[in-house]
Amino acid sequence: MGVEGIGAKVLRKEDRRFITGRGRYVDDMSVPGMKYAAFVRSPYAHAKINGLDTSAAEGMPGVIGILNGQQLQGDGIGNLICGWAVSSKDGTPMKMGAWPALASQTVRHVGQAVAIVVAETQAQARDAAEAVMVDYEELPVVTKAVEALKDGAPQLHPEAPGNLIFDWELGDRAATDEAFSKAAHVTRLHIHNNRLVPNPMEPRAALGHYDPAEDHYTCWTTSQNPHVARLVMSAFYNVAPEHKLRIIAPDVGGGFGSKIYIYPEEIVCLWASKRTGVPVKWTSDRSEAFLTDAHGRDHETDVEMALDADNKILALRVETVANLGAYMSLFSSATPTYLYATLLSGQYDIPAIHANVKAVYTNTVPVDAYRGAGRPEATYVVERTMETAARELGISPAEFRRKNFIRSFPHQTPVIMAYDAGDFDATLNAGMEAADVAGFDARREEARSRGKLRGLGMSCYIEACGIAPSKAVGSLGAGVGLWESAEVRVNPVGTIEILTGSHSHGQGHETTFSQLVAERFGLPVDNVQVIHGDTDKVQFGMGTYGSRSGAVGMSAIHKALDKVEAKAKKIAAHLLEADEGDIVIENGEVKVAGTDKKLGWHEVCLGAYTGHNLPDGMEPGLKEGAFYDPTNFTFPAGCYICEVEVDPETGTTQIIQFVAADDFGRVINPMIVDGQVHGGLAQGIGQALLEGTHYDDAGQLLTASYMDYAMPRAWDLPMFKVSTHETLCPGNPLGMKGCGEAGAIGSPPAVINAITDAIGNNELTMPATPEKVWKALSAVE
Amino acid sequence: MNLFEYIRPTSVAEAIAAAGEPGSAYLGAGTNLLDLMKGGVTSPNRLIDLTHLPDLGKIEQLPDGSMRIGALVKNAALAHDTAFSKAYPAVAEALLSGASAQLRNAATVGGNLMQRTRCAYFADPASACNKREPGSGCDAIGGENRHHAILGWSESCIATHPSDFCVALTALDATIEIEGAGGRREVPITDFYLLPGDTPHEETVLEAGEIIVAIKLPANAAGFAGHQRYLKVRERTSYAFALVSAAAALEIENGTITEARLALGGVAMKPWRSAAAEAALAGLSPTREAFEKAAEAAFADARPSGENAYKIELGKRVVARALAMAAAGTPERMPALPASPFASDTGAIAHV
Ligand SMILES: Cc1cc2nc3c(=O)[nH]c(=O)nc-3n(C[C@H](O)[C@H](O)[C@H](O)COP(=O)(O)OP(=O)(O)OC[C@H]3O[C@@H](n4cnc5c(N)ncnc54)[C@H](O)[C@@H]3O)c2cc1C
Ligand code: SF4
Repeated sequence: MGVEGIGAKVLRKEDRRFITGRGRYVDDMSVPGMKYAAFVRSPYAHAKINGLDTSAAEGMPGVIGILNGQQLQGDGIGNLICGWAVSSKDGTPMKMGAWPALASQTVRHVGQAVAIVVAETQAQARDAAEAVMVDYEELPVVTKAVEALKDGAPQLHPEAPGNLIFDWELGDRAATDEAFSKAAHVTRLHIHNNRLVPNPMEPRAALGHYDPAEDHYTCWTTSQNPHVARLVMSAFYNVAPEHKLRIIAPDVGGGFGSKIYIYPEEIVCLWASKRTGVPVKWTSDRSEAFLTDAHGRDHETDVEMALDADNKILALRVETVANLGAYMSLFSSATPTYLYATLLSGQYDIPAIHANVKAVYTNTVPVDAYRGAGRPEATYVVERTMETAARELGISPAEFRRKNFIRSFPHQTPVIMAYDAGDFDATLNAGMEAADVAGFDARREEARSRGKLRGLGMSCYIEACGIAPSKAVGSLGAGVGLWESAEVRVNPVGTIEILTGSHSHGQGHETTFSQLVAERFGLPVDNVQVIHGDTDKVQFGMGTYGSRSGAVGMSAIHKALDKVEAKAKKIAAHLLEADEGDIVIENGEVKVAGTDKKLGWHEVCLGAYTGHNLPDGMEPGLKEGAFYDPTNFTFPAGCYICEVEVDPETGTTQIIQFVAADDFGRVINPMIVDGQVHGGLAQGIGQALLEGTHYDDAGQLLTASYMDYAMPRAWDLPMFKVSTHETLCPGNPLGMKGCGEAGAIGSPPAVINAITDAIGNNELTMPATPEKVWKALSAVE
Repeated sequence: MNLFEYIRPTSVAEAIAAAGEPGSAYLGAGTNLLDLMKGGVTSPNRLIDLTHLPDLGKIEQLPDGSMRIGALVKNAALAHDTAFSKAYPAVAEALLSGASAQLRNAATVGGNLMQRTRCAYFADPASACNKREPGSGCDAIGGENRHHAILGWSESCIATHPSDFCVALTALDATIEIEGAGGRREVPITDFYLLPGDTPHEETVLEAGEIIVAIKLPANAAGFAGHQRYLKVRERTSYAFALVSAAAALEIENGTITEARLALGGVAMKPWRSAAAEAALAGLSPTREAFEKAAEAAFADARPSGENAYKIELGKRVVARALAMAAAGTPERMPALPASPFASDTGAIAHV
């Protein structure tokens, strides 16, 4: 691997600028003449707009312009789209209501933008926004998906009668019913997957700049996928033609999915820049983030598992109601369907599965993919059910899982996914050993002697990363392909630029991508520059989400490096008068194997650019690009074990130990992988113990600040024990699977399984606050 | 838009004079006041910034052995003052269990005493609240009131006082030094806060324009230093207010409790000193039974003001545990999780 190659714990190159405060985020950007925007937002969850009076606001100091939804529509700016078409089981297409970037007739959630105010300063813009008078006529409100489906519920969109967007199914209903009829035991559970607010550290921001001289638009935005933003903003929203639009996503401070989507604010800032003639910057504050960033999860599920007399799973039946909020966000339809129900087989050989998902409109913030996107919901369903079934049957949860593990690969599940490789026993064994499961009974006794209740919970998750291949996702309704592109530009002096369509917003790509070059040519990672996030520099790309940058993005780089290596070898063979097959590149040198004949890497590169002595017919230069379209998803899997202590007097839970044994395939940088797992675990534990999103009956978000929405803090978490096991993924050249979401996917059921074990009551919903734990304890005492 | 005048006086007298203008408010670090202004809960037309006043930022040992803390001392600075935390460890523990490190670094002790209730209806100008708007009613009654009072509440208001610091101060008989147009006076903290009665908008004995200049802890309070703890039960380990908390201090001689101090937080609109519990403990040996008896006594008059009967049971458990922790002895160093039910006696977190 070399000191900086694959598998090396190279320190993150980007951290120097981040930890010295020199990162450059959208809000740090400034262009001459730039002014500031504030949005007028609805205080009501559902209301008709009868009028908009801007006269008082227009006269306020510093105000440059106030624009509304009618003007937006008049200029032909299109409604927001959902990029994945999902049909109901009766074949009808999903029923999507119109979502204009500025509402002009109806508002459907608190915080929806109604108008934009552009002013000299941010404070002036905000003051004027407060003075815009909107005449609202309140309409009845519904915030819970199950309520929204009932007869007589308030109706959100005329396009979607009964608030039902689609009623979708996957799997074989008849085979599942048949299996249930033969079951020796059926385990049933009602599961609530709590709504989460993503809360990346950097709130969203947009700076729109229309340049009349060039008739050209630039938008700096907090995006995980700037090229998709450009495509969508030009092809669907008509803000600017694609060749006249440059999107730049500079340093982005976390996204977790919430920065995939193209939101109203960036569209409106760009449009407003042209309308007002000044560059327009908007920066979300934390309160706006709570009210407008796409939320995650929010499922209600009834699950049933059928078992035979030998404790083998016969079938799984799942009915889910997914709350999509007031509008269909960009990938909202895929998250509770193709990213959820397809993972319901877990790590187990389940002959029959049937899942039914109803997607529903409510007067809440739109819900979309959030770290894990569908897979955490699936894992929570499967792993809570596995643990509950084992308890009902009085058998060891580990042995019950083992009994049902899939052991031969490839394995076709009844829900689309074909698992290519895995070794579930290996991660279970590693997890159990690290967690000292054998010593748990003694620890439980010791805790009991101190008046505390100990519990152990497990979760054996599998997930799917690098969503692909393009042809398959296209047939399932995706509006885009899911390949990735890369370009490797070798400079005449031998330093290298990697241009990638992946986007780093905390993942450490500048380091790991450079490590591929270090591995390949033995060059120091400092000789490599990774360029991303600018549509003027990188030709095209699909961005970063779904843990795709390793398995897909790095595979594209790998392919481009193959081409660079081949050409460099040809040049070197020519210069050294050797056979191309004998050339090896290592430690920054290009050598003829078995001889002392060699050239410095930089000499070969310079040769490529002088063109003085190249093989006949070869083009000068050393720059190669590649597009990589995977053949399948990748399937990271692992075993998480959580040990908790509950204080029965107060209901407080403390996580004593958390073990994560993961199989991510090839690991490029173990330190970065550990960091990804730690972050994911913190989010998953946050969901399990702390994070609860509450709307009141009027649709006001009660948990709209950090005082009321409990983010996990260091004190809430133990030191994690993490390890990785490498079963290489056969589907991509590096054997990588992806590690960005596993922590958040696998951990919530482990935590809840541990608490329910401690208190002896399976009825417990997330977040398991002390109050809920206390109540659950009292219920069984 | 909030339009207000901002004044930065350079002496206490100047500050008091400036406060003669109706609608004035004193500004400490603003960690509470500015939030309330942003939320439209209060809209003073004049802010008098106290943070530049000289001489209010000192922690001094007075000749009689008592300790005097200037009103502008930061919460964190006080908790980390070695002499102070040795003499009054439960006060330091209470301070460190509150808010977050950033807030404690900014917040003043005077501001902490004067912080407003965390009743959600008080914070929401659209709700009826007798405290915010006398006579408008109380939406907490019959509303979301899990966090509300179980002692000393009235039909006008069932809110609680959120401070942790004040609970420990109350157990240790602190006094508050006040200056106003009429000069200086001292009020025992037990008399400083007013129960809601029919006038929940009147919260303390401070007269208009009066300023807190210092807090004093008596010398004899140090006699409890070896056996005092603060225990705070909350819904998460940090950044949350107490559901119920207790400051417990004991003087133990030859295996017998000679004197006990107990104050409760999160249960009433004032830090709640329990004379009954203290009396119940005197002369007993420090056993679980004695502590449970004291806990019963502490909550004998408690009654739920809504969906919060659980607080009575929780409160008893908290009192018994706080007394047991105090009896076990003040830990050598501050627990990593101050005031947490998980803080072990040795000061380490109990992770394996
Ligand atoms: C997120 C959050 C969590 C918190 N958690 C806790 C907690 O767990 N426990 C806890 O105890 N506290 C907690 N707090 C409250 C915090 O302790 C108070 O906000 C802080 O102590 C107030 O101090 P300040 O200097 O900022 O006061 P300010 O906000 O400036 O003032 C508060 C009030 O006191 C008045 N005032 C200030 N100084 C004086 C003076 N010298 N004389 C007379 N009146 C004065 C002001 O007029 C105002 O009415 C929390 C606060 C926040 C924001
Ligand atoms: S409890 Fe008190 S503070 Fe809360 S709403 Fe009622 S009157 Fe206001």
